[in-house]
Amino acid sequence: MSDPSAAPVRAFRFTGRWQDYAPIAFTNLLLTIVTLGIYTFWGRARTRRYLWSRTRFIDDRLEYTGTGLELFLGYVIAFFVIVLPFGIVNLAIQGTLMRGHQGAAAVTGMIVYLAILYLVGVARFRALRYRLSRTYWHGIRGGSSQAGLGYGWRYFWQTIVATFTVYLLMPWSMVRLWNQRWNAMSFGSLPFRSHARWQPVFGRFLLFYLLPVILFGAVALLVAAIGFSGGFDGPRSTVPSPGMVLAIALGGLAFYIVFFGVLGLIAMTFYAAFFREAVGATSLGSLDFGFEATTRDWILLYLGNLALVVVTFGIGAIFLQYRNWAFFIRHLNAYGEIAVDDLLQSRERAPGQGEGLLDAFDVGAF
Amino acid sequence: MPSMSAPSEVSDPSAEVWHYDGRSALRRSARLTVDGDDGFRLVGDGVSDERHAFAALTPADADGDRRSFGLRGRPGWRIGLAAPVPPEIAARLPGAQRYGGWIDRLGLWRAAAISAMLAAVAVAIVLQTPALLARLIPTSVEQRLGEVMVGDFGRTGCAAPAGTAALARLAQRIDPDDPTRDIHVVKLPMVNAVTLPGGRIVVFDGLLQAARSPDEVAGVIGHEIGHVRGRDVMESLLRQLGLSVLLGGMEGHVGGYTNALLATAYSRGAEARADGYAIRLLDEAHVSPRPTAAFFARLAKAQAGTERMFAYLASHPLSDARAARFRTSAKADAGYTPALDPADWQALRGICRGETNRIEWRF
Repeated sequence: MSDPSAAPVRAFRFTGRWQDYAPIAFTNLLLTIVTLGIYTFWGRARTRRYLWSRTRFIDDRLEYTGTGLELFLGYVIAFFVIVLPFGIVNLAIQGTLMRGHQGAAAVTGMIVYLAILYLVGVARFRALRYRLSRTYWHGIRGGSSQAGLGYGWRYFWQTIVATFTVYLLMPWSMVRLWNQRWNAMSFGSLPFRSHARWQPVFGRFLLFYLLPVILFGAVALLVAAIGFSGGFDGPRSTVPSPGMVLAIALGGLAFYIVFFGVLGLIAMTFYAAFFREAVGATSLGSLDFGFEATTRDWILLYLGNLALVVVTFGIGAIFLQYRNWAFFIRHLNAYGEIAVDDLLQSRERAPGQGEGLLDAFDVGAF
Repeated sequence: MPSMSAPSEVSDPSAEVWHYDGRSALRRSARLTVDGDDGFRLVGDGVSDERHAFAALTPADADGDRRSFGLRGRPGWRIGLAAPVPPEIAARLPGAQRYGGWIDRLGLWRAAAISAMLAAVAVAIVLQTPALLARLIPTSVEQRLGEVMVGDFGRTGCAAPAGTAALARLAQRIDPDDPTRDIHVVKLPMVNAVTLPGGRIVVFDGLLQAARSPDEVAGVIGHEIGHVRGRDVMESLLRQLGLSVLLGGMEGHVGGYTNALLATAYSRGAEARADGYAIRLLDEAHVSPRPTAAFFARLAKAQAGTERMFAYLASHPLSDARAARFRTSAKADAGYTPALDPADWQALRGICRGETNRIEWRF
């Protein structure tokens, strides 16, 4: 019943249409506005219910059972446990600064930063666990036996190691953390396994890493060359002419666009390679996953998202979640078999509330 | 179900369903048969035949599969009915859910309208009550809060003795009735003056240097005294707190902008009231309001100019209307005298000479 190789059909298919999603997106926006933002949690749950229900894996669709109330409670808890205490500590730091104790303020600020770093790691883990625990396929859900505290430490020290190597070890920490996160997850009675390697993606990362240096050097050389060849000749008044100011401003703008545009594109080549490596090294039982988005696909997604938001003066942002999910599912593949007879229900405890911690830090789960 | 009455076979409606039991991933076919008035059983290979109540079914998702239902307390348990559902069964199934809970019951538009009204009331309460609440909070509590927030900022500022004496005389001249004033000068080059939580007024040295007469400084200090009397700082703190909690659920930027917009609208009102207070103080002290008007006009004109002017503009939005209000409050035969004599004015401008506070690393 589940042999994907027999049919030309992909293991994962996304069957949604933006025309069907539009009423959901717009009513979510309306209700979020009139409830001063409180509905956003219910809106997010509704969006996910739609996206999951239009995602077919082999022979049946996924089902999302998370509720807005869970997300809301998660946020309220995170507010009282994280946001409020950090706000108070922040006030105390300001007070310390005002009293002239810059040293004490700096040390306290540093401790707060490290604590947040740890909690971001915990939050990422718990968000993934929560989403898996609310994702059903054939009546079976995912989960994890861990609560994410250990992962928080790993995230903490590996990020610090990456920082101390001037981010040169960034791919190493990203790949390791991906493996550690997914190796702690399971779906039903089957554990996820991930053994991604950082070596295959390091070359592209180096390109991304070194390019700004090269670009910057080139521009500096160019400026120096213009300067020497007499581009700035004539009486050197302290007040440059309006034309000169305009030229410098335009040059700066062009540099800015080229610099970040090119850097963004190079970052995409790394990101595409990282995602292919990471997802491709992940498996569930005898099922191997694969991700087929090329750099070009990522760039088109990114430019499409950008254009959508800009052209609609920001309102198009309500479709981003739909576009990202559709992109993700359309490029996700799975090979091998899954024996539904042996796949039993998850025995892991399902977490009670949603991704409040993650909301508090405003970071994504994947 | 063995029964003695012959027509029972026909009277129990049933329908084909697919079924997941939530224990294994096997998809099973079964027959749902109504049992009694409010219950049903599933009959099929490997399917438990326990009786369930229709009321225990969880609603279908209106955006997804409308004929698929879960069972309360049994995660993963699902049934799905094939296309023509017999009316006897359809009538017993729970309605589909779209927005969740009470919005489905009220209908989208009515729910949106009610929410919008509640939101308006909530915003109005949060915007209006701080003004009342700020006056209910004892000054001592506000001062302690100020200690926590800003410590002795400003208090350890410029302290040249002659200048301090001149500052005290200026304050006494325009505001003779209040001995609890707390006015300081700090050596910062910005053209600005602020009122801190706890009612401490801090004038920046840059303002003293930019002012052309003591009357201009008197007008600015009168304005800040107006903020202290109006409990404006406490009020805006409370309003900020209320708004940030109320708009906390909004997407980061949207909430922030709305918050800033509403807060600014109210701070304009507070600025206008403080101006009125300053005009009254100047009038009672027989200090001319014209120099203050000229000072504001000068700053407004320099808006695009010197960068250091921006500080004052940001916290005290200037307009011609504001300057005009001071100008028109001047009376022809009021017998105005300068706020300070020339010697005191020179001393005040030199208040930051000599030993002043240095910023150093301390633990």
